[in-house]
Amino acid sequence: MAQELKAKGNELFKAGDYSGAEDFFSQAIQKNPRDATFFSNRAITRIRLAKWADVEHDARAAIELYGLKNPVALKSHFYLAQALLGLQRPQEAHDVASEAYQQSLATKNAQSENLSRIVLRAKQQIWAARETARIRELNQTLGSVEALVEADVTRALAELQGRLERGEIGEIGFGEDQKALREDAENKINNLREAFRIASKGEVQERVVPDYLIDGITFEIMHDPVITPSGVSFDRLGITKYIEKSGVDPLTRAPVSVHDLRNNYALKSACEEFLKNNGWAVDW
Amino acid sequence: MFATKRLSKELIKMQEHVPPGITIVKCDNLEEWQMDIKILDDNPLYLNQTYRLKFTFSNKYPIEPPEVQFIQCPASTGTPRTIPMHPHIYSNGIICLDLLGSAGWSPVQTVESVCMSLQSMLTANNRNERPAGDQEFIATNRRRIRDINFVYEDDNV
Repeated sequence: MAQELKAKGNELFKAGDYSGAEDFFSQAIQKNPRDATFFSNRAITRIRLAKWADVEHDARAAIELYGLKNPVALKSHFYLAQALLGLQRPQEAHDVASEAYQQSLATKNAQSENLSRIVLRAKQQIWAARETARIRELNQTLGSVEALVEADVTRALAELQGRLERGEIGEIGFGEDQKALREDAENKINNLREAFRIASKGEVQERVVPDYLIDGITFEIMHDPVITPSGVSFDRLGITKYIEKSGVDPLTRAPVSVHDLRNNYALKSACEEFLKNNGWAVDW
Repeated sequence: MFATKRLSKELIKMQEHVPPGITIVKCDNLEEWQMDIKILDDNPLYLNQTYRLKFTFSNKYPIEPPEVQFIQCPASTGTPRTIPMHPHIYSNGIICLDLLGSAGWSPVQTVESVCMSLQSMLTANNRNERPAGDQEFIATNRRRIRDINFVYEDDNV
């Protein structure tokens, strides 16, 4: 009975009717809340509907039912990480996806590629959040400095007004001084804004990923670099695919096996360090 | 999987800079591109000629090679293109070059590097002839380019 509901849900999912599919999966779950596939199918359906909080719930339920270390649950880890990204919780998404990625490599699971992508995506979101805060802080700094300049000119103008009232200066002198003070303040603020503008623009211009962090197969920044016996590093997934297919090194064409690949931890740290400060590089 | 992203990156790079004698003709989708190549030295076989290459990519690119061949364009298109004369190029444009076969391909190759390899393959040639069995090959071959088992025995060309 519950299986039939699931089958109907799958059918609607394939046809692109996600709300309809969600309904059937929910009914299936009501009949039998112990079947992990019902939850994982509803999770991917809800991803299509962008119901992130519900995806998180379903993915966690599926993982719990499968058992945390069950390789079959890796797909649900992938859904969970996507949900966490959707919920703007990139750090959690990163942790879930990284751990699942390691597990998928150990079990040669097909999810490696998806998980690797989510890890990078999460790193990007973590960076974006920090970057927004930084720009806000930068603008705040600019704002407070501008406020200081303004307070300064207001005080000077009040003083000038006082001198006029006490008869220390005449109307003409007052007018000229007032104008000079205002112009001076305006110049200061313009200079400040220019300085901040140059500072932020300079950063935008430097948006180049160094070649040594780029994987020669995918042309993307590396996430899990490994080094071949010929001394060149590639991202693990692409080079593994190629070596499994060809059995040779892509540069020297010398026979090589995937067991000859070694982690390049130093390069991995370099990529991580770069991404921490340049999250945009994920989309480069 | 990687294919679309990798190709869009190759395109960005080539739009910034392409080596001399190479021009992007058509790249409006990520399945088929066309490139023009010119031979830059004074080899009389290819003097003042431009040749058109067609690249077809599968979604397994760059793990698997693209299919690359020369194509003809009639003069009516305004850019007449012929198939260059070469002992490793059949008269239907199919190229016998090890790096384009499944066994010789490497994923570190790019559209640009393939074009450059073909430029140098033409530059180095001085034989005004087609491969042996050309007519028979073009009449009977129905296989995909990368599945053809060429014998790369001739290292002199």
